Amino acid sequence: MRKELIKKTLLCWEDTIPDGLHERIQQRQSRRNFLKAAAIVPAGIYLSGCDNPASTPTTAENKISSVEQAPWNTFASVQNHLFPKDDESPGADDINATTYLKLVLELPGTDDADKKFIRDGVNWTNDLSRQMFDRNFHQLDFGKKEQVLQRISKSRAGESWLSLLLLYIFEALIADPVYGGNTNQVGWQWLEHAPGFPLPPEDKRYYLLR
Amino acid sequence: MKEYDVCIIGSGAGGGPVALTLAEAGYSVLVLEKGPWFTEADFFKDELACCRRSVYTPDLKDERHVLEEYNGQNDDGSYKWSSESTFDSGSDFWNGNCVGGSSNFMSGYFYRLKPKDFRLLSEFGEIKGANVVDWPIDYAAMEPYYTKAETVVGISGKILPHKHQEPRSTPDFPYPPTAEHAVSGLIDKACHELNMTPLPTPRAVLSVPKDDRRSCEYSGFCGSYGCSSGAKGSSRAALLNKAVESGNCEIRAHAKVYKLSSDQSGKVSSADYFDKENIKRSVSAKIFVVACQAIETSRLLLASTGPKHPNGIANNTGQVGKNLLFSAGGSGTGEFTYKQFDSQLAQAMQQRGPFVNRGLQDWYFIDDKEFGAPAKGGVIDFLFRHPNGISKANGEKWDDNGNLMWGKPLKQKLKKVFAETKYLRFEVFNDWLPTDDCFVSLDNSVKDKWDSPVAKIRLGYHDHDLKVGRYLANKSELVLKQMNAKNIRSSVSGAPPPNLVAGGCRFGNDPATSVLNADCQAHDAENLYVTDGSFMPTGGSVPYTWTIYANAFRVADIIKQRL
Repeated sequence: MRKELIKKTLLCWEDTIPDGLHERIQQRQSRRNFLKAAAIVPAGIYLSGCDNPASTPTTAENKISSVEQAPWNTFASVQNHLFPKDDESPGADDINATTYLKLVLELPGTDDADKKFIRDGVNWTNDLSRQMFDRNFHQLDFGKKEQVLQRISKSRAGESWLSLLLLYIFEALIADPVYGGNTNQVGWQWLEHAPGFPLPPEDKRYYLLR
Repeated sequence: MKEYDVCIIGSGAGGGPVALTLAEAGYSVLVLEKGPWFTEADFFKDELACCRRSVYTPDLKDERHVLEEYNGQNDDGSYKWSSESTFDSGSDFWNGNCVGGSSNFMSGYFYRLKPKDFRLLSEFGEIKGANVVDWPIDYAAMEPYYTKAETVVGISGKILPHKHQEPRSTPDFPYPPTAEHAVSGLIDKACHELNMTPLPTPRAVLSVPKDDRRSCEYSGFCGSYGCSSGAKGSSRAALLNKAVESGNCEIRAHAKVYKLSSDQSGKVSSADYFDKENIKRSVSAKIFVVACQAIETSRLLLASTGPKHPNGIANNTGQVGKNLLFSAGGSGTGEFTYKQFDSQLAQAMQQRGPFVNRGLQDWYFIDDKEFGAPAKGGVIDFLFRHPNGISKANGEKWDDNGNLMWGKPLKQKLKKVFAETKYLRFEVFNDWLPTDDCFVSLDNSVKDKWDSPVAKIRLGYHDHDLKVGRYLANKSELVLKQMNAKNIRSSVSGAPPPNLVAGGCRFGNDPATSVLNADCQAHDAENLYVTDGSFMPTGGSVPYTWTIYANAFRVADIIKQRL
């Protein structure tokens, strides 16, 4: 019974669980189990609960060469909304957040279920965006993007996804520039965060150590 | 097959002293370590490596634990326990798996136990629902080895007389205290105003160079990070490097021991392990020493069945894994804005690197009618919020109502937290009472990548732990208040800190209620010793590492006598 309900939330971002029950499940269900449940939803089926089925399938196999292309343009658009540039501080583009995320999805050390969940989420975001406004997310204006993200954040899966994207934005902001984000230490400068020394050289990045 | 004099399984704080003592005495020593062999040249201030990816610990996909947590009561009043693997929950129970073990990643808060800690039952009596016992040895037996660790490991500090000061055979530490932060003076002032006795915190961090180890370089990133100067007194930097230099000690990294085989006489005959290529190997030795950190030590003994040990070696009375200990207590925080100080002090407060180095032991023993009968208390340590930026930012992404934040409000909050605010924290350490609800067993349904059952850990705690923890947290909050900190809050819970773990193989005189004798030798396997924190029947209210070092030096001398 519980599993059924969890699966249902993952058909798309639409949250079909009544509030009270939702909270109880949230308390019991750990993050990773939830991701595992997400991983077993067969591709294609996840769209059946949404009004608009016109979406590209999941992207694990997609060969993406540029962050300008789908789904990276949507990732970039979500990241820049979550972490916008302003006069005093860098935004997602300034810290290379999209390329950083792309690297995270290619590198060892990130949980496979997390990787799949991040990739699935971007499709679900466009599904919802088209359902609400007949356009993909990156084509929306600021106000509509905010509406889509607010709606996403109301579902548990959606909140987890946005939360995960924020985590990798923070990594791009604050991790050592040797990992591809934090361009020219712009994140450290903005936050007045003094790094510790010695800093990791290229040949001692974490995935080269073990 | 070469027979070593001693084979040590595990290279952390429990293994290092035995390796060094016996290698320097001329005996042949082999250390088997499950993880890789990092050196100073591999340690950088890299938050991804230290804290966000599994670099110094196994991938949970390959190796996990199963945690059993309290989940309500049955109709008859018995407890229900929920069970979940750490891979599924995402909560990691590994510490350092590499040469030197988790001592590479400690913050090095070093305290001795006190004489009364060796006899809590006699001093304070029984506590219902807890298995408090006296130790089979007294403080005087351990004292010379606490002193030895000060010199050999390298402990920096300064003795300030106070009412709970334990006896010492030397007047003071061999190394002066590490450099101190400006806030230490503010803590002193507040404590004195409150009639408390602030004490300098001893640290297993060199304040001056020693042998080939440099002194501390004060990066400010210490706990959770490997030390690139060699100042931190890890088993690797302080002990194993010297053991290897003696020419009598061999360290084999990537050697995962899955079983101790034993013969008809009941003695351990070999340590069986997988090497880096996952090929099965065996080594024999006269004496075997297990020091895999408490949980994995119990797991290995339970998995090591043999003709005289149907339920695992050292487990003929069913005591292995029982009475597992963590550190009870909790932590709290207060906030200062740089604006509240004059410009000189504000600048000093922004400095990162020097240690806070202040603690309180005023309530190591509680004698306060408001609390109740006299009881064992604990220690309070002050420290800054960890400087890890990613985890700091990630912790700030939720608003006060638990909703995810983004956009401008999130960025404003980050700027305030990083650039305008200094967070002074405290940590409370008090005894985690041994109970029947906290133990290690094998989970036969969940296996690691070598097909061995993983450790299942039941994580029950005693309510008395929370009472003591809350009492100490309230005292700590008074200090923050006196310092004019804002937003003071604290939390005391029964959540176990996985890095502060001991017990599971109690030492004692009665084989029916203990695993090891007073020499930390297995009651039922005469060439088997356990020298990590597993031996402790009660925990004391300080981090375990100094006591583990001291006891391992003590047992090493016993083994040396025997060889």
